Amino acid sequence: MAEAAAVAQPSAQPRSLLPLPLLARVAWRNLGRRRLRTAMSAAGIGFAILLVSTFTALQTGVYGAWIDTATGVMTGHWQAQHPAYQDDPRIADVVPEGTALAARIAKLPGVVGATPRAEAFALVSAGERSFGGLVHGVLPGREAELFSLPARLIAGDYLPREDSAYLGAALAANLGVGVGDEIVALGGAPEGGVAALALTVDGIFASGQAELDRSLLQVPLAALQQAFGLGDGAHRIVINAETGDGDGGVGAAIAAALPSGVRLLDWQTLMPQIEQSIRFDRITADMIYWLLMLLVALSVVNAFMMTVFERTPEFGMLLAIGMRPTAIVGMLLLEGVGVWALGALCGLALCVAVVLPLQVVGFALPENEALAAMNEQMMMPERLHPALGGKALAQAPLVMLIGTLFAALVPALRVRRMRPVEALRAEE
Amino acid sequence: MSGYAPTQQATSPGGRLPLRLLAQLAWRNLGRHRRRNGMLLGAIALAVAGVLLLNTMLRGMEGEIREVVLDNLTGHVKVLGQGYLADPGIEHGFQLPADWPQGLGSEELFGWAARLRVPAVVMSERETRGVELVGVDPRREDISFLGRATVTGERLAGTDDRRLLLGRALLEQLQTAVGRRVVLVTQGADGRAREVGYRVAGVYESDFRALEKVFAFTGAAALQQTLGTNAVTEVSVRLARAADDNAQAATASALATAFADLAVLPWQELAPQAAAMVAMADFGVFIYFAVVMGALVFGLINAMATAVMERVREMGMLRAVGMRPGAVVAQVMLECSLIMALGVALGLAVALAVFATVADGIDLRAFDLDKSLEQLGMRANFIPVLTVADVVLVVVMSLALGAVASLFPALRAVRIPPLVALTGGRGERGAKRRQRGATDKAP
Repeated sequence: MAEAAAVAQPSAQPRSLLPLPLLARVAWRNLGRRRLRTAMSAAGIGFAILLVSTFTALQTGVYGAWIDTATGVMTGHWQAQHPAYQDDPRIADVVPEGTALAARIAKLPGVVGATPRAEAFALVSAGERSFGGLVHGVLPGREAELFSLPARLIAGDYLPREDSAYLGAALAANLGVGVGDEIVALGGAPEGGVAALALTVDGIFASGQAELDRSLLQVPLAALQQAFGLGDGAHRIVINAETGDGDGGVGAAIAAALPSGVRLLDWQTLMPQIEQSIRFDRITADMIYWLLMLLVALSVVNAFMMTVFERTPEFGMLLAIGMRPTAIVGMLLLEGVGVWALGALCGLALCVAVVLPLQVVGFALPENEALAAMNEQMMMPERLHPALGGKALAQAPLVMLIGTLFAALVPALRVRRMRPVEALRAEE
Repeated sequence: MSGYAPTQQATSPGGRLPLRLLAQLAWRNLGRHRRRNGMLLGAIALAVAGVLLLNTMLRGMEGEIREVVLDNLTGHVKVLGQGYLADPGIEHGFQLPADWPQGLGSEELFGWAARLRVPAVVMSERETRGVELVGVDPRREDISFLGRATVTGERLAGTDDRRLLLGRALLEQLQTAVGRRVVLVTQGADGRAREVGYRVAGVYESDFRALEKVFAFTGAAALQQTLGTNAVTEVSVRLARAADDNAQAATASALATAFADLAVLPWQELAPQAAAMVAMADFGVFIYFAVVMGALVFGLINAMATAVMERVREMGMLRAVGMRPGAVVAQVMLECSLIMALGVALGLAVALAVFATVADGIDLRAFDLDKSLEQLGMRANFIPVLTVADVVLVVVMSLALGAVASLFPALRAVRIPPLVALTGGRGERGAKRRQRGATDKAP
C-alpha cells in the first residue's frame, strides 16, 4: 500500500481532487502490483485484437480482389441493358446504337472503359455433333483491354478475323473441334426465322468456370449483329469503373448519360452470388469476433472485480482521508486504459508483423486441386493479399477499449457505495 | 477459512487426502467467491455454447452440401463408361450385366438407377437452349431429387414414356408450357444427329434454378429406342443415410467387380469441390475451439491464480501440518476442473436450448442470402446439425483445457515454501520485500 500513501499527500489540495497525471501514475503502479493478472488481462485483450484485426485485414483484402477478379472475367462493374433483359433475356430486347453509347460512356470521369456486347443462344454444330451454346458478339480489342476472358486462351488466337470463334474448352472437346476447324451456329432471329453463322475456331479458352467452358463462344460483334439482324443493337453495355466497391458517384454519372428506356445495373445485381457470399462470410466472421471480444471483456470484468475486492481496505483508507469516490473510480478506469493499452499494443504489433509481409508478397491457398477448382469456380484471385487499413487497425482496439472501460466501470461503481469504516475493516 | 477444520482430521497418515474429500474442499472453495466464479462459469458456458452452435452451422453446411450432391443424380457411387466424363455421349455407354443387380445386396443400400444421359439442344417456337437429356426409369428415381420434386402437370409414367419433363426455369426460358411440343436435337448411337419432337408432360421444381435449366427427363427405354441403342451411360447407387465411408467403399468394390473395365467413382471424385468443403468442415470444430477457448483461457488462469494467491496463507498452513505438495496441486486442479465441468454442462444446456429453436431450419431467404448458398450448393432452408461426436469432442477438449490451464497456478502455489506462505501472503516476492524491510504492511 505504499502507493496509497503517496496518493494521500497531494490530496491535501482543496476539494481533494487529484491531478490527472498523478492519478495516471498511481494507476500504472497499481497495475504492477498484480503482474500476472495484468499480464493475463492484457494478453486476452491482445489475443482478441490480434485475431480480429488480422482477419479483418484479410477479409478487406480478399473481398476487394474477389470483386475485381469476378467482375473482371466478363461481367464488369456496371451494365446498361434493356429494362427487361436481366430478368428475362430475349434477343429482341436490345439497347439501340450500342457502339456509340459505349463510346460515350467510356469518356465519363471514373469510367475505365465500356464495350457493347450482343448475345444469342444457338445450336453449335461441327459435322454430326451439335451442342447448345451461348454466343457473345464482342469488340475484340475492347474486350481484351477490359476483361480477363481473352487472356484465358489455351490455344490459337483471340478473334483475329471477322469470322473467328473463341470457344470454351469443354464445348470444343464436346464438339470434337480444335483450332482451324469450322463450326456453324444456328439460332432464332428476333423477327422469327433462323439465323446462321459460319465460323472458324481460332481460339480456345479455359476459364475454370464449368458453365462458361461448356457453353460459351465469342465471335466478333459485327458478325453476330449481322447474322441475327440486330443493326447496331447490343444486349449489354459492359462498363468497368475505377473501383468496384464504392461507386463514388460513377453510377449516377453513367445513369445520367443513358438514354431513356435503358436500365443501369450494378455488379451486386449482376452477380448476386458474389455479393451474398461476401455478406455471408462477413456475418459468420462477425459472430465469431463478437463472441471472442465478449469473452475477453468478461474475463476483464472478473479481473477488475478481484482487484476491487482485494483492495477494499485500501479504498476505505483513501476515502477516509478524503479522496473522492469519483477519483477512485477514475483511477480504476485509468488502470483499465493501461491494461487495454498494453494488450492493444502487443496485439496490433503482432498483427502488423503478420499481415504486412503477407500484404506485400501475398499468399496462395494450399496446393489442392479441389480447392483450386473451387477458387476458380467462385472466381477468387489466385494470390490473396490482406489489406491493413484503418478499419482493420482501429475497429477491434476501439471495441476492446469500450469493453475494457465498461469492465472496469462495473466493479468500480461499488466504490461509490463503500462506507470508509466498513471498507477499512474488510478482511483482505 | 472455517471450511478447513475437517481437513486436518481426515488427513491420512503420510498427508495424503482422499479424493472425495479433496473434491468436497474444491466445491466449498468455489462457493467462497460466488460472484467471481459465477462470472467465470458464465464465460465458460458462453464459450462452450458458442463453439457448439458455430459448429452445428458448419456441420449443417457440410451435411447439406453432401446431400445436395448425392441428390443431384450423383448418388454415393456411380458407374460410368471410360472416357464419358471427358466426352459425355452415347458412344461411351455400356450394357448392364445380365445378372445385375446381383452382388449389390447390402443392408446399407437405399436404391440404384441406370440412366441414359446425353447432351442435347432443346428448341421451342421462340428459344433454343442446351440441356442434358436424361432417360430414366421414374420408379427408380427415389434416389435422386427427381423422386421428391414437385411436378406441375404429369410425372413420367414409366420407362417407355416418350414425353418430356422440364425444369421450371427452362420452361420459362423456352417460353413454352405443359402440353406443348418442343424439338430436341441430339446424337444417335450411329453418330448421326436425331431431331425428335417431344410433348411436355410436366414441369418439375427443384431447390436450384441452375438444376432446372440443365436437366430434361424422359423415359429410359423410349430414349434408347430413339438413339438406336440398348446401352445406358451411368448406374448411380445411393446408400442409406446411416451408411459410413466403409459401406461406401464396400459398395464401390462390389460395383468394380460387377462392372469390370468401367469407371467406378465415389461422389467425392465426381464433385471434388463439394468434397473439399465437406473435408474442411471437419477442421472447423478445432479452429472454432482454438479461437474461442483461446480467449477464455486468459480469464480462467487469471481467476485461478487469484484464487490460489489469496489463499497462500491457508495453503501454507495446510502444508505446514503435513499436506503434500501433490495434494495442493490436485486441489487447485480439481477446483478448476469442477468449475470447467459446471460451465461445460451449463454451456451444453444453453447450446441445446438454442439449437432446439433452430433445429427445424433457418430460412436464409429472410436474410437475402439464398444466392450465395446456391453457389455453395446449399438449399435456402438451412438446417443446423448437432452430432454426439462433436459434443463429446468439445466437452473432452474443454475439460482437458481446464486441467492444463490450472496447472500453472497450481504449481505456483506449490513453489511457495510453507513458512513464507504462512507469514507472508503475497508470495515469494512479497516475502523477500518484507525481509528487506519494505514498508508493505502485512494485513
